[in-house]
Amino acid sequence: MSGAARERLREWIAAKSGRVALADLRDDTPLFEQRLLTSLQTVELLLFLEDLRGEPIDARRLRPGVFRDLDTICRNFLPEGRDGTAG
Amino acid sequence: MNEFEALLEKLCAASREDFANPYEAFTWPATLPPDRWYMNPGWISLHGTEAWSALDEAARRTLSFHEVVNFFSLNIHGEKALVEGLSRRLYEGESKSITEYLHHFLDEENKHMVYFGGFCQRYAGKIYTDRTVTFPAEYAEGEEEFLFFAKVMIFEELVDVYNVHHARDESIEPLTRTIHRLHHEDEARHLAFGRRQVRRLFERHAPGWDAATLARVRSYLVDYLKMTWAQYYNPDVYRDAGVPEPYRVRESALSHPDRRAHRDLVSRNCLRHLRESGILLEDVAA
Repeated sequence: MSGAARERLREWIAAKSGRVALADLRDDTPLFEQRLLTSLQTVELLLFLEDLRGEPIDARRLRPGVFRDLDTICRNFLPEGRDGTAG
Repeated sequence: MNEFEALLEKLCAASREDFANPYEAFTWPATLPPDRWYMNPGWISLHGTEAWSALDEAARRTLSFHEVVNFFSLNIHGEKALVEGLSRRLYEGESKSITEYLHHFLDEENKHMVYFGGFCQRYAGKIYTDRTVTFPAEYAEGEEEFLFFAKVMIFEELVDVYNVHHARDESIEPLTRTIHRLHHEDEARHLAFGRRQVRRLFERHAPGWDAATLARVRSYLVDYLKMTWAQYYNPDVYRDAGVPEPYRVRESALSHPDRRAHRDLVSRNCLRHLRESGILLEDVAA
């Protein structure tokens, strides 16, 4: 079951992308591979995630693939139930 | 000698003659006065917003200091990427013929980082973190070369408007003004080169791009402009200046009509050049 933060993130991605309907954005939809988001949108994505998790993210420590899909983003940036799921 | 070669020769001569030494150009005081303006109030990213109204005069001046540290930090991040890109182009491929000027460009960008970094490290004890991320991409013929110089031009065009305004503004703390002035003196040459180089690369490569590539390039440049501006609104700055709810304040400032008008004004010359060169087809909001 998805939590509130995960759903807010899903809505944010759908709105910023403009290329996918909210209902079609699955947890495993590849975001950058399918060009739903571009690398230029990662500044805004990081800031949105920082706001959701309540603390800054050190962009220098990011590994390739951390933004692959919604599931991967939640696992990397909103762990321990901070995405609103039971954790 | 064609027009572009003549421009390069002129710029190289100017770089040799107007050689600024960042180790001699500044006297760094031990501390900076807390009661000065470091950025003109109207240029501060929260000016005109609800959060701005909630700050007293002293808090606004404190915010102006953190804003200029962010501005100098953005310059360092932009210049690091630029130095990397310029280094790769020395004596290589399409840029081989302009290598002599690239040596000056590279040299001057490195010197800029000396004084931007000197200011940030001495007086703020840090450089604000870069949040940009780059992914590997596939490009059409000439696309990567064009985008590299187009991004440099957009970044420098915006920065230079801040430099020119603040170098002239007598209400600004003097060391800060000197940095703006020295930076502008070099940037004026870089922009003369950048505008010509970007137009030249577009005229050379765009005819070979299909409609999808051309649309992608145009959309990328608009997104790049917006991303560049997004970094002028930094929640770390607001946090350091004691502004509550920095992320909410940032969102609100980004969409505030006063701030939109400021971005459009500062972006005007840059966008006009992109339109006149046929690179962009219509007006865009920054």
